[in-house]
Amino acid sequence: MNERAVAPAEARGDDAAARPSGTPLRRVRVIAANAFREVVRDRVLYNLVVFVLLLTGAAVFLGELSAAQEAKIIVDMGLSAMLLFGVFIAIFVGVGLVYKELERRTVYAIFAKPVGRGEFLTGKYLGLCLTLAVNVAVMGAGVSLALAYVKGGPDPLAYRIWPAVALIFCELMIVVAVALLFSSFSTPALSALLTFAVFVIGHFSADMRSFAASTGTAPARILFAALYYLLPNFSHFTYITDASHGLTPTPAAFAAAILYTLLYVAVLLAASTLIFNRRNFK
Amino acid sequence: MTTPTHQHTPRVGAGSARREWPLFLLLVACLGGAAGVVHWLDARRHAPPPAPRLSEELYVSPQAARRLSLGFNGLAADWYWMRTLQYVGGKVTAHKGRIQIDDLGALELRALAPLLDHATTLDPQFMAAYEYGAVVLPAVDVESAVRLINKGIEANPRAWRLRSHLGYIHWQQGRYPEAGTAYGAASAVPGAPGWLGVMAAQMSTKGGSRDTSRAIYETMLRTTEDDQMKRLALRRLLQLQSLDEQDALRGLLAAHRERNGGRCAATWRELAPLLRQTRLKSDASGSPVDPSGVPYLLSYDKCDVELGLRSEILRSY
Repeated sequence: MNERAVAPAEARGDDAAARPSGTPLRRVRVIAANAFREVVRDRVLYNLVVFVLLLTGAAVFLGELSAAQEAKIIVDMGLSAMLLFGVFIAIFVGVGLVYKELERRTVYAIFAKPVGRGEFLTGKYLGLCLTLAVNVAVMGAGVSLALAYVKGGPDPLAYRIWPAVALIFCELMIVVAVALLFSSFSTPALSALLTFAVFVIGHFSADMRSFAASTGTAPARILFAALYYLLPNFSHFTYITDASHGLTPTPAAFAAAILYTLLYVAVLLAASTLIFNRRNFK
Repeated sequence: MTTPTHQHTPRVGAGSARREWPLFLLLVACLGGAAGVVHWLDARRHAPPPAPRLSEELYVSPQAARRLSLGFNGLAADWYWMRTLQYVGGKVTAHKGRIQIDDLGALELRALAPLLDHATTLDPQFMAAYEYGAVVLPAVDVESAVRLINKGIEANPRAWRLRSHLGYIHWQQGRYPEAGTAYGAASAVPGAPGWLGVMAAQMSTKGGSRDTSRAIYETMLRTTEDDQMKRLALRRLLQLQSLDEQDALRGLLAAHRERNGGRCAATWRELAPLLRQTRLKSDASGSPVDPSGVPYLLSYDKCDVELGLRSEILRSY
């Protein structure tokens, strides 16, 4: 547990303080559950209604417009909407996770208990990730149902989209971690802007690599190569188009993308904690 | 010590509703007024000048569109695909005369090749776009069609269907050796159906024959998912059947003429005994009918057979 955590919780005599503080994992779980509840109370999951309307409209009307390509378009539209809605939630809710606690001054009450700042950030992060997991799972099920409706029965495409759905979730996990990192030292507006910029740059990673290869001067080459490896690379999570053709990533590519997510999220959470530890709440 | 506090919650009662009705009235009146002003402005605005030709050009290159799509390239490809269909559909609707989907050269579809190029650059596995390009684009710009399919083959080397599309384009242009090479390459792809090898051989011996055409359109009818393509294939097959029937009728007319000292039959009834020996369908009056059920016309002057005026065989798409 972090040395900055304020210990004398017993002094306030509340229930949580009276109980043993439990393991760090338990504390993170409690914060995550609270963060999840908070996000749900903020009616973030209402975006699912928009999503369902979008898919229903696509399933009903696209047959006429797309010349027998409605299944492909439903997958493209459904998974793209999943990514887009997810990115907006990750950015706009993610940047507010810490800021709201600071603004309402509830962070003082939290840190008055034996809770480390790293645990606090990890719990907040996992809470939002849980929300996004629910969001993505419900949207994935919606796309599968829409495909079954269009096909008039079971469609192999309906289950072949799920690896792409999982990789969208991985991408969102990184975006949330980026939002949390920026929000640990910046204002929500700037954090949102910077996170969105990272999301955009993450999709230009292939260009960054070609810049590095084609640039004449050695420092520029090193700079672009460094940026290529430093910034998140989202090109390995982009399987929406493949999914619309029933193609799935190879098991090795899938596993590597998940490993990359875990490593990158660990880096971002560690960096966020380091920055957050240095903040003075007095 | 606690001080009693009153939670002041504004209540919308009858009194406040009475106070607010002028506000509602103002809102509705202003909204109606704004709509009226817009209507007035619309009525007085000069008609916009005809759209310049540049409106058919696309603003970003396919590569730039792919970069800018930020992982939403599949969705962007779908957008370009639907725009392609709307573009062609709009031109067909505006066209007055008869037209077939594989002969849209008269429509000046300048943006068709770029639109399909965008769709397939954004989604290189978009088979429906390649197929559409193989059928529709040659009449507009055959080299663009070949380029499009070659780009698809490069991106999908294991897709035999694309190589067969290339064969179809060459066959349509009467380039039978190239068509044979393309069908041969398609048949060499693992998992390709056997008929491709037959087609490759057929191209070199009788590329322009009706049997080859029939085989191509039967395959198109069997394999395509696009309703337009299905309709095209069906129509072409009916046309081929009609051509066979017209040849058979010409044969009967020639036989009758030979038996009657060079005199042509004046009506189909004169040919009734000969017609009965064939499998040709006839109507109640004994006239042979084409595949759409309309009687063939007998041209006495030319001693030839023609399609009826109401025949559906040459109907536009």
